[in-house]
Amino acid sequence: MTIFITLVDVTLRGLVGRRRTVLLVLLAVLPIGLALLARLGGETPDAAAALDALVVRIVLPLIALVFGTAALGAEIEDGTAVYLLTKPIARLHIVVAKVVVAALLTAALVAPSALVTGLLMGGGDEGLAATLAVTPAVIIGSLLYAAAFVAISVITTRALVIGLVYVVIWEGILAGILVGTRIFSIREAVLGFAGVLAPDAWESGLEAAQAVALALVVVIGGIALGARRLAVHEVRGGD
Amino acid sequence: MSGQGAAPAIELDHVSRWYGNVVAVNDISFSLGAGVTGLLGPNGAGKSTLLHMLAGLLRPSAGRLTVGGEPAWRNPSLYRRIGLVPEREAVHAFLTGFEFARMNARLQRLPDPDAAAARAIRTVDLESAAHRPIGTYSKGMRQRAKIAGALVHEPTILLLDEPFNGMDPRQRLHMIALLRGMAAEGRTILFSSHILEEVERLADEVLVIHAGRLAASGDFRQIRRLMTDRPHTFRIRSSDDRALGAALVAQPAVFGVELTDGRLIARVGDYGAFTAGLATTAKRAAVSLYEVAPTDDSLESVFAYLVRR
Repeated sequence: MTIFITLVDVTLRGLVGRRRTVLLVLLAVLPIGLALLARLGGETPDAAAALDALVVRIVLPLIALVFGTAALGAEIEDGTAVYLLTKPIARLHIVVAKVVVAALLTAALVAPSALVTGLLMGGGDEGLAATLAVTPAVIIGSLLYAAAFVAISVITTRALVIGLVYVVIWEGILAGILVGTRIFSIREAVLGFAGVLAPDAWESGLEAAQAVALALVVVIGGIALGARRLAVHEVRGGD
Repeated sequence: MSGQGAAPAIELDHVSRWYGNVVAVNDISFSLGAGVTGLLGPNGAGKSTLLHMLAGLLRPSAGRLTVGGEPAWRNPSLYRRIGLVPEREAVHAFLTGFEFARMNARLQRLPDPDAAAARAIRTVDLESAAHRPIGTYSKGMRQRAKIAGALVHEPTILLLDEPFNGMDPRQRLHMIALLRGMAAEGRTILFSSHILEEVERLADEVLVIHAGRLAASGDFRQIRRLMTDRPHTFRIRSSDDRALGAALVAQPAVFGVELTDGRLIARVGDYGAFTAGLATTAKRAAVSLYEVAPTDDSLESVFAYLVRR
């Protein structure tokens, strides 16, 4: 347990307290600000639609992308990962710790953002149900995205670009055009989980069982793949 | 190079490592036991690649490599016995020196990480800055923090990549004494350097590596003699180059002279005899010496010579 706590501690301290964290906090606050503006303007927007457009489509994947690719990828890039890799610890422990920290930080920003945004949007009982359903769903989504992005960051140094392409092209465009691609969409899984709690407010391309299956594949597969790749990760010398 | 009877702590058998078409380490074999060994070579020689393979961070492309009798690649349990000080400067800048050493101690599963970290910090003489973030450290302090992290579990095998980078002379002396003391306790210490004097002061044994190949290995004094006794070329400017050339060619230490672009070039077999006798030879020939300069005294040319031997 000491190993895990140490890994979590050093990862957490490496990720928070930097300028990027401030920018991510601002990104998480953005939907709240927009909701406030809408309410001040006398509007009562559809809470579920607004939460989907702002939090599920933008804030959640982008924040998870930054934390997920930085948790281990940044250490591999700057060379500090060597101090973890030259220890008698299983690579699986390193990857799990990184995924947990990235997921916790993402959830810590996104869940309050979803909750406060939804509550400000109003919309009566239906709006409240949509908000209370999507909040735990984005927490699960934080874990899924974190597992996926940490794994990608071990495989390639271009994890940020690849993650962005996945979020924007695959989830943002292709999933809307080609229904079959939704089976590999974390966003659809998040909507699926929200739909379990509030079926009238949330619609997903995935059934609940499919969402659970995708979640298991992403988390277990991502961690296993990350650990496997980290075990054969080579650190080049200076000459 | 390992002691007789004892199993070598480090053993390489025809080890090579290439990146695509580029050969970084080329068919190297040696074995090391307890003591300090210097891995000497110019920048780009393959020293870091070799150390990274020994540290299990790179897979050898060919050959057999064992550390403590076990393969280093994909063998995390080996890190209980190995300490590595990488060349790259990056350390977790947000941690203090003490926290960095303690992190290493905890990840080594030591029973009392705080005590081990305090001991390591004291060993590298970093107590005064132990509770400052590493981000505020000088290069030399950062280097000592890295060494503290590598020593914290008291490894039997210590691999250090250019460990003296950024250290001032006092810190270097302290570190040399520290590493010598650790070697005297029976540990195997392998450190890389491109500075001859550093290796001379610390290492009993030396491995000279150039362009990925092992150019020479063995006792430092023998290697030093090989380096000194190699053919040297001197460029000489005098009041009468032609007369001096005629006088020099008669000297046993000189095996060739030529006049090129108005300069006298002397090729010398015995560095010591030539430099000791040059002034006398010039005086006898009634020639004034204006300039005497070795043309190939760079470490690079020394290494190239050793490889060609």
